[in-house]
Amino acid sequence: MIDGKSEGDAGRMRMMALSAVVASLALAGCITVKAPDKPIEINLNVKVQQEVIVRLQKDAQDLIQNNPELFPQ
Amino acid sequence: MTRKTFFIAAALGVLAAGAFLAAPASAQGLVAQALTAGTVGEQSDGYLGIAGTVSQAVRDEVSAINIKRRAAYTDLAAKRGVTVADAAAATGCQTLGSRVKPGQVYRIGTGPWQTKGSGPIALPDYCATAG
Repeated sequence: MIDGKSEGDAGRMRMMALSAVVASLALAGCITVKAPDKPIEINLNVKVQQEVIVRLQKDAQDLIQNNPELFPQ
Repeated sequence: MTRKTFFIAAALGVLAAGAFLAAPASAQGLVAQALTAGTVGEQSDGYLGIAGTVSQAVRDEVSAINIKRRAAYTDLAAKRGVTVADAAAATGCQTLGSRVKPGQVYRIGTGPWQTKGSGPIALPDYCATAG
């Protein structure tokens, strides 16, 4: 017997089955990212020191010019 | 103040100033001579170093200059929020880059003393100047 109600039930069942398949596919396709045990270290000391010194070059020039007695030639 | 006392005070002032100026001038001359002789040289760390055999007077004056340099580096470091060593090293880049003359000696890091030739000194990488 086919009536509106049973057709609707069948549709719902299909939808549920489909969404279950999609959900399981989605789960299977998950990429798990695991945080490393150790902290990630990025060493920027050299670069930072270089920038500091480049910025200081002008200051150093002034220091030499303003204190000639400390920089005999 | 009478004219006479003013004159005496002025004369004393001139004498005091003369004595004050004369002492560091001669001592600085010793270091300048040692630089020319290659017994004292500039270092990349921003200080003067002893490269050869020198008299105690030269040694003392090198120490005195380095102490004053350190004070100046400390001021600069505080002003710019950097370490004293960085302020000193930046100055070392300048002394090695533009003040050491050919024939004078210099030292990079803890390396050997070298005599500057006619070309520029190969400076440490951190001395690269901003474009």
